[in-house]
Amino acid sequence: MSLIDSIRYRLRVFTRPRDHETELAEDMEFFVSSEARARAHESRGALGDADARSAARRRFGNSTYYREEARRVSGLTVLDTLAQDVRFALRTFARTPMFIAIAVSTLAIGIGANTAIFSAVDTLLLRPLPFKEPNRLMNVALSIPASPRGPGRDDLVWSYPKIEAFRAAQNVFGDLTAWFSMQFTVRIDDEAERISGEFIDSRYFPTLGITPVVGRAMLGSEDRVGGPRVAVISDALWRGMFNANPSVLGQPLDVDGTIFTIIGVAPPEFSGVSGVARFWIPFFNPPAAWGIANLLTDNNAFYLIGRLAPGITPERAASISREIGSRIDAQFPEHGANVRHWGVVAHTLDDTRVDDYVRRTLAMLFGAVGMVLLVACANVASLFLVRAASRRREIAVRLAIGASRSRLVRQLMVESLLLAVFGGIASLVVAWVGVHIISAAQPVLWGGQSPSGIGTVTADPIQLNFTALAFTGTIAIVTGLLFGVIPAIQSTRSTLTDSLRVESGSSQQSRISRRVSMRDVLTMFEIALAVVLLATSGVLVRTLANLIAVRPGFEPSGVLTMRVNRAPAWSRDSISRFYDVAVDRLRSLPGVTEVAIADCAPQGGACTGMGVHLPDRPERAPVGVGVHWITSDWNAVMRVPLVRGRLIEPSDRKGTPFVVLVSETAAQTLWPGEDPLGKTVVLESGSDTARVVGVVGDVRFRGIQSRPMAEIFMSYYQQPMSYRMMVHLRTSRDPVLVAEAARRVLREVARGFPVYDIATLEQRIGGALGQARFLAQLLSLFAVLALVLATIGTYGVISYGVAQRTREMGVRIALGATARDVIRLVVGQGVALAVVGGTIGMAGAIVATRSIQTRLYDVPAADPVTLGGIVVLLALAVLAASWIPARRAASVPAVQALRGG
Amino acid sequence: MADIQKNELLKGTLDMLVLQTLSVQPLHGYGIAQQIEVLSDDALRVEQGSLYPALERLQKKGWITSKWGESPTGRRARYYTITAAGRRQLGNEISSFDAMLVAINRVLRRT
Repeated sequence: MSLIDSIRYRLRVFTRPRDHETELAEDMEFFVSSEARARAHESRGALGDADARSAARRRFGNSTYYREEARRVSGLTVLDTLAQDVRFALRTFARTPMFIAIAVSTLAIGIGANTAIFSAVDTLLLRPLPFKEPNRLMNVALSIPASPRGPGRDDLVWSYPKIEAFRAAQNVFGDLTAWFSMQFTVRIDDEAERISGEFIDSRYFPTLGITPVVGRAMLGSEDRVGGPRVAVISDALWRGMFNANPSVLGQPLDVDGTIFTIIGVAPPEFSGVSGVARFWIPFFNPPAAWGIANLLTDNNAFYLIGRLAPGITPERAASISREIGSRIDAQFPEHGANVRHWGVVAHTLDDTRVDDYVRRTLAMLFGAVGMVLLVACANVASLFLVRAASRRREIAVRLAIGASRSRLVRQLMVESLLLAVFGGIASLVVAWVGVHIISAAQPVLWGGQSPSGIGTVTADPIQLNFTALAFTGTIAIVTGLLFGVIPAIQSTRSTLTDSLRVESGSSQQSRISRRVSMRDVLTMFEIALAVVLLATSGVLVRTLANLIAVRPGFEPSGVLTMRVNRAPAWSRDSISRFYDVAVDRLRSLPGVTEVAIADCAPQGGACTGMGVHLPDRPERAPVGVGVHWITSDWNAVMRVPLVRGRLIEPSDRKGTPFVVLVSETAAQTLWPGEDPLGKTVVLESGSDTARVVGVVGDVRFRGIQSRPMAEIFMSYYQQPMSYRMMVHLRTSRDPVLVAEAARRVLREVARGFPVYDIATLEQRIGGALGQARFLAQLLSLFAVLALVLATIGTYGVISYGVAQRTREMGVRIALGATARDVIRLVVGQGVALAVVGGTIGMAGAIVATRSIQTRLYDVPAADPVTLGGIVVLLALAVLAASWIPARRAASVPAVQALRGG
Repeated sequence: MADIQKNELLKGTLDMLVLQTLSVQPLHGYGIAQQIEVLSDDALRVEQGSLYPALERLQKKGWITSKWGESPTGRRARYYTITAAGRRQLGNEISSFDAMLVAINRVLRRT
């Protein structure tokens, strides 16, 4: 069998190359000595041994050559020469450490930053949702059109009656499940823990395509009020609290003081749609403290997820859902003056997995980092071009001595691939650091709930993952090949005479100028991209500065806020008693100086928008204002100043005349040029007529980046707010230290009230500022990187040009040019590059900044300050890049230059 | 360029001659060279060393194998043996060589 013999041979060559070679040498030696002996024998002693031997050698031919040939044939050489190429490349690298350092770090930065951002994109946008056939799942939400009260929205949660109506009317979803996530107190033995769980129905697990690994999920027959209180627990909870005991089924789980029976354990890695759930309980049978009537009637809390019926496209499901939406709107009409029409929208779950803001942020970062990579690649390309040009003589000589062209191209490719590999490895370090930075920023940047309530993708910390690694590898190799192959082919194309002539600088002008212009184009491209990034980061930094300088209208430091929801048992009348007790008890806590309750904290958006009528101006349409419920100490806690009139007093209670405060903006909007004190307003919701008793300072409730709006404040005591309360505590020490005590007090005062969302006001503002800061920092980093790279690129090109023109410089100096003339000549070259590249960049910058206009605050897209700053920066960079080569050119001794350097 | 073409022609021919020589009996390298010289009446005078790349190539294809043995003079020598595949290959090469010869002769109008 020829195949077996052949394989045996190759295997031997491969596994024991040394043996193979010594045997070959021995065989050849046997040959030559046999021939020598035969010759000596033939001559009958006329030939001495030495002569016979040398004659035999001549007859044999160049033994080294034939041994090489034999080795080449045996296939040993492929690996051999590769190792040789690598060794040679490393030696070449060692000769030009600066070049290698710059090229490797350039690649590392470009690729590393890309990997980091790609990791984030992959985690947040690309990785499939961890459900069965996730592309068949849709999030169905309620929508309202834009109105004077606020912008339109299409991500609103449902009340249960509407869900029932939708379920009955639709036929496009095979399965529909309603759910929402909550924090619960789970008590095991004597330990109570706050953990997240989800309220679900029996269709939840089948819809997502998840099957419990132990026990079962909820049954359809359990979807009824008064049914069994059952719970499915997560793998994490099972291991953490029950030691993965298989007999967990049937055991009790104490949720908010009510016992549920465990019926199943979810598969590992499944933590619900919210991404944080540790257990699932039916909302039909919630813990006793929750009150079933409240959950299933006026509670807008539910998310709705549907799995498409077979053969139904997402588009069809969306259009059917829209139709049903108008029917639901007719079935559940809204009352009041400004009736809004609700609709139903359906998006694939994948589309709604992250908030649109996050999606666009990532797209922006990806675009920016892609530009950095382009700059890096352009830089490496031009470095390689410069290098290839400076090695043309070496290559020409090697060709002349007889190196084959393919061998040379391979050698150059090995060099560039090796460089790419180094760059790739170094980039992993950059990527690792980058991923950590992004992960750290994650809570800030991606903290908000997605429109579908999905937390699965956001709860995961962003990690450097395998996909990102493959992505890096591909970029590294493609970059390496791209910039190795083109210069490689170019430098071997020339014949010996060509390159030697070029080297002496006497002819081939056209060829040189063509090459130079390609490098110039690359450099201008780098400069242009750097300018785009600089402009983008510039306006974002200015936005950040403006935001930091904004006075929010209140004093955020030292204020702790926590949300309390009304327990169903409390009626509207008994609640004012709760305010009194709660405020008193909290105020007596050590470290607490003032206490107030308001329905919402600033930065969380206006909780309630409403139209107001002006009784003395019946002709005017209702004006949209933000409506706030406060207790009398609110202004003191928030340090919101009184401008005119008086504040709300403890004596403004039920039964006394209905009074309100208005913000300065509200005063100007409602009664321009008039005294607002004593004016009256009627809330659209149908309140009594209220009289304005005071004007207070503007507060930016909707985030510091949005302008102050018209706000009206009224007392909780006069118009009880049904359920929403945010307790505000001004403290004399670190507010975080007071949190636990305050929470305990609220628990005692209001047994069964959920207390959650505890944060200082500074944290709430930080969240808003954090996004601006994160973007500004990251983009500035990218921009600086791009500028540095472009500067290095410019330096490379100019110093190459100077090296090529050494002779010309010498001639100029010999003919009387001063050092200044030469410097001007060289720097002028850099300036020309900067002017062309910068101009193109400016045009691109204006397009780029316009596209992020919505994120800017008090900065025009084409910001003269930013653009002016860029011109200065660019001028400095170009000066830095061309100064050293210029000095070198000016110091060329004329004689040396004329001799040919 | 002419040199290269001559070498290419010789390379193929050399392979064939080696196989032909070994088809009679296993031989060591020197024996193969001697046989070829005798058989071709010194007409194909190439450098003897060129035999070795050919031997490696043939082994790689699995047409011959090699084994160390003892020469008649008592020295260690590597003996090459033709394989069954080598014999098939030899048959193919001879017939295609014959066909080529016929064709060339026809072109040169020698028949």
